[in-house]
Amino acid sequence: MSNEKKERIVLDVAYQPQVRTNTDTRRIMLDVMIALLPAVAVAVWQFGIYPLLVIAVSMASAVFFEWGYRKLLKKHSTIGDLSACVTGILLALVLPPDAPWWLPIIGTFFAIVVVKQLYGGIGKNFLNPALAGRAFLLASYAAIMSGAYLVPKALRSTIDAATMATPLSFLYDTGAMPEYFSFVDLLIGKVPGCIGEISALALIIGGVYLVLRKVISWRIPVSFVGTVALLCLIFGYQGYGRVEWMLYNVLSGGLMLGAIFMATDYATSPVTLNGQLLFGAGCGALTVLIRYFGGFPEGVSYAILIMNLCSWAIDKAFHRHQFGVSKEDIKAQKEAKKAAKKAAKEAAK
Amino acid sequence: MSHTFKGGVHPNYMKAPEIPISVITPPPQVIIPMTQHIGAPCKPLVQVGDYVKMGQKIGENPAPVSAPVHASVSGKVVAVEPRPHPLGDMIMSVVIENDYQDTPCEDLAPLTEEQLKDSEAILERIREAGVVGMGGAMFPTAFKIRGGIGKVDKLIINGAECEPYLNGDHLTMLNYPEQLLKGIELVRIASCVDKAYYGIEKNKQDAIDLLNSLHPEKYGIEIVPEEVKYPQGAEKMQVNAVTGREVKPGGIPSGVGCNVVSTRTCYAIYQACYEGKPVIERIVTVAGSALKAPVNGLTRVGTPFGYLAEQCGGFVKPPRKIVLGGPMMGICATSFDAPNIKGTAGVLFFTEEEDKHVEHPTCIRCGKCITVCPMNLEPVFMYMYYSKGDFENMAKYHITDCFECGSCAFNCPARMPLTHAFKTAKLMFQAKQMKEKAKAEAEAAAAAAKEAKQ
Repeated sequence: MSNEKKERIVLDVAYQPQVRTNTDTRRIMLDVMIALLPAVAVAVWQFGIYPLLVIAVSMASAVFFEWGYRKLLKKHSTIGDLSACVTGILLALVLPPDAPWWLPIIGTFFAIVVVKQLYGGIGKNFLNPALAGRAFLLASYAAIMSGAYLVPKALRSTIDAATMATPLSFLYDTGAMPEYFSFVDLLIGKVPGCIGEISALALIIGGVYLVLRKVISWRIPVSFVGTVALLCLIFGYQGYGRVEWMLYNVLSGGLMLGAIFMATDYATSPVTLNGQLLFGAGCGALTVLIRYFGGFPEGVSYAILIMNLCSWAIDKAFHRHQFGVSKEDIKAQKEAKKAAKKAAKEAAK
Repeated sequence: MSHTFKGGVHPNYMKAPEIPISVITPPPQVIIPMTQHIGAPCKPLVQVGDYVKMGQKIGENPAPVSAPVHASVSGKVVAVEPRPHPLGDMIMSVVIENDYQDTPCEDLAPLTEEQLKDSEAILERIREAGVVGMGGAMFPTAFKIRGGIGKVDKLIINGAECEPYLNGDHLTMLNYPEQLLKGIELVRIASCVDKAYYGIEKNKQDAIDLLNSLHPEKYGIEIVPEEVKYPQGAEKMQVNAVTGREVKPGGIPSGVGCNVVSTRTCYAIYQACYEGKPVIERIVTVAGSALKAPVNGLTRVGTPFGYLAEQCGGFVKPPRKIVLGGPMMGICATSFDAPNIKGTAGVLFFTEEEDKHVEHPTCIRCGKCITVCPMNLEPVFMYMYYSKGDFENMAKYHITDCFECGSCAFNCPARMPLTHAFKTAKLMFQAKQMKEKAKAEAEAAAAAAKEAKQ
C-alpha cells in the first residue's frame, strides 16, 4: 500500500482487550430458548398445539411491549438482545395449558413494562419479570390460574373429566398423594400442570445444556433442589416413606422449571459464587416452608421472588478473598486492629 | 495434575508456530526511541552526522532503573528529535540512515569463562546490553534481578506465552533450545539460586519435549508444564501456578521470594553474555486480518510499523487498529511511523473482523466476569462503583489489585468496557493520592511557616 493511502487510514485506539469472546447477550438468550425446547415439546405432546399459540402470543406481546416502551421514551431499542423473547416464553410456560390466549398479554405487560423497563430494562430489574407477571396474574385471575388443570393426553383414558388437580394441589386438598400416576410419569410429564412444568426430565435436559454451554452455573439449581430434597427427607410426611415423599416433592410442581430457568435469572440472582449457593438454599427452604404450611399448594414462584429481593444483600455479604491475603494475614489484621483499639482506650483513660 | 491458577479464560489462540522465522530486511531508516524501558529515559550519546556501528550504544542514563539503547543498524545519524512512540506521544529518538553494511560494534566482548560464573559480571553485562523485560513490561532486568538477590528462593522463567497470536517464545524454544537453557542458567547464577523453574503451557508440548531431551537439570532447570489458560503468563499467576504462593496486594513477586523472567529475556541475556550482542532485534509476530498471512519475523528494533507491514506482504484490507503485543493486554499504536521497540512481541493489524464493538453495552449481571478474574475480584461491582465515581467502595472492592489482564472484559457477553474502566479508575486513584500528598505537604509547610513566624 502506498504512503498516500496509509495517510487516509484513521486508526482506532481502544484499551485492552482487543478481542472478545463470541458469546454475547443475544447468544445467551438464544441458548435459554433452545434449552426450553424439550419442555415445549412435552407440552405439545400432552396438551396439543394450543399451548404453542399461548407461547407465541406471549413472546410477541413481550417483544411488542419492550419495543413500544423504549420507542415511546425515545431510548435505544433493546429487542435485539432477545431477553424479551425469553421473558415471554417463560411467562407462557407458567400458565395453565388452557389459559385464554389474551392472558399472557396482560402478564407480559406487567412483566416487561412494570417489572423490567420501569427499573431501567435488562439487568436492572430486581424481580424475575416472568414470575412477577405470573404472580400478578395469579392475584388478578385466580380462577383461571389456580383452578383445576387440563387433563394431559396420557391420562384421558383413566380420568373421566376435562380437568383435574395437579399433583401438588391434590396433596394440598386431600392430604394424600394421588394414585393415578407414578414417579416415571412425573419425570416424563404425564401429569397435569402448567405448560412448561410437567416434565422434570425435559427441564433437566435443558438445564444440563445450559450448564454445558456455561450459560448458568450448577450452583443455584443444585442448591435449590438439594435443599428441597434434604428438608423433605428430614421432615417427611405422615403415612409415606421419606424417600417417596422426597421424590414426589422434587419431581412435581414448578420446582425444576423454577430452579433451572427462573432462579438462575442473571439480574435477580447473586453473582458471587457462595452467594449463589445461599440463594439456592434459601429458595429451597422457602419452597418447602410454603408447601408444608403456606396457603398455596405450590411455593416455588413466591420463594424465588422473595429471594430475588435478598440477592443484593447476599452479594454484599459474600466478599471474595483478596488475592495475596491469606487467612493468617486477615487474623493478624484483626488482632492489630483490636490492639490499636485497646491502646486507644487505655490512652483515653 | 498440571500447574495453574484459579479463574482465567480460553481465547481463540490463533497461533502459528509452524511458520518458520523469517528475517525482516531492516528499513532504510531506523527510529530508536530513547525510552524502551520503565524508568529514567536515556540521553542521546550521538549527534546528527555521526557514524554509528550496529550494536553501538547511542543512549544512556546512569540512574539505577534504566537501560541503555543501541543502534540496530550501522549508518549515519540523520536526526535526534522527538518522534512518534509506539506507546503514544512524541519521544526523543535517534534516527539512523541504514547503510546496509551491518558493520558490527566490538564494544561488548563475549564474557570469559570466569565471568560467566560471576553474578556481578553477568548483571553488569545485562545492564550494558540494555536487556529489559521482553515479555512486554520492559522493566530493566538487571535492576529486577539485583533487587531479588537474597530475597528470592524460587526463580521462575516464564514460558507460558498465553497471549493469542504470539509465537516468539515458542519459536525461540524450538530453534535455540540449548542457547535458551544457557541463558536461563545465567539468570539463575546472577540471581544466586540453585534452581530455576521453567513454566511452559502445554500447548507447546513439542518445545517441552525438546527442552527435556537436552537435560535441563544439568543447567539447574526444571520444566513445569502448565495448563493452557490466559493469563497464565502474568507474573502473579506464574508464581501462583509454580509455587502456590500468592503475591501480596500491591506487592511484587520478590515479596514472596520469587522472581519471574521471560523466555525472550533469557535468550537476550544469552546473546549478551556469550555473543556480546546487545538487544537490537527480536522475533515479532506480525498478524491480524488486515494481512494475508501471519509472519514470525526477526525484526530490528526501530522498524516502523508501516514498513513492517509492507515487508510482511502488505495489507489485504485496510487496518483499523495496530495492536502492540498480544490482543489481550496489547495497547493500540496511533501511528504507522512509530517503530517497534524491545518489548514489542507482536504487531497485530486488526480490521472490523476482530472488533466486537456494540452500540449500547448494558450489563446483564451474569457474573461471568467474577468467575474468570484471576485476582478474585468482582468486576461487576467495581464497574458499578466506577460509573458512580464512588471511590470508597472501589477501594473496598480492591480495584487497585486489578492488573488489567482483560479476562473479565474478554468474557463479558454484554461487551462492557470493564478493563478500560479499571485502568482509568487506577489512574484516578493515583492522581487522588498525589493530590492528597501534595495537600498534606502544603499544610505541613504552612504550619512550619506559621511556627517560624511565631
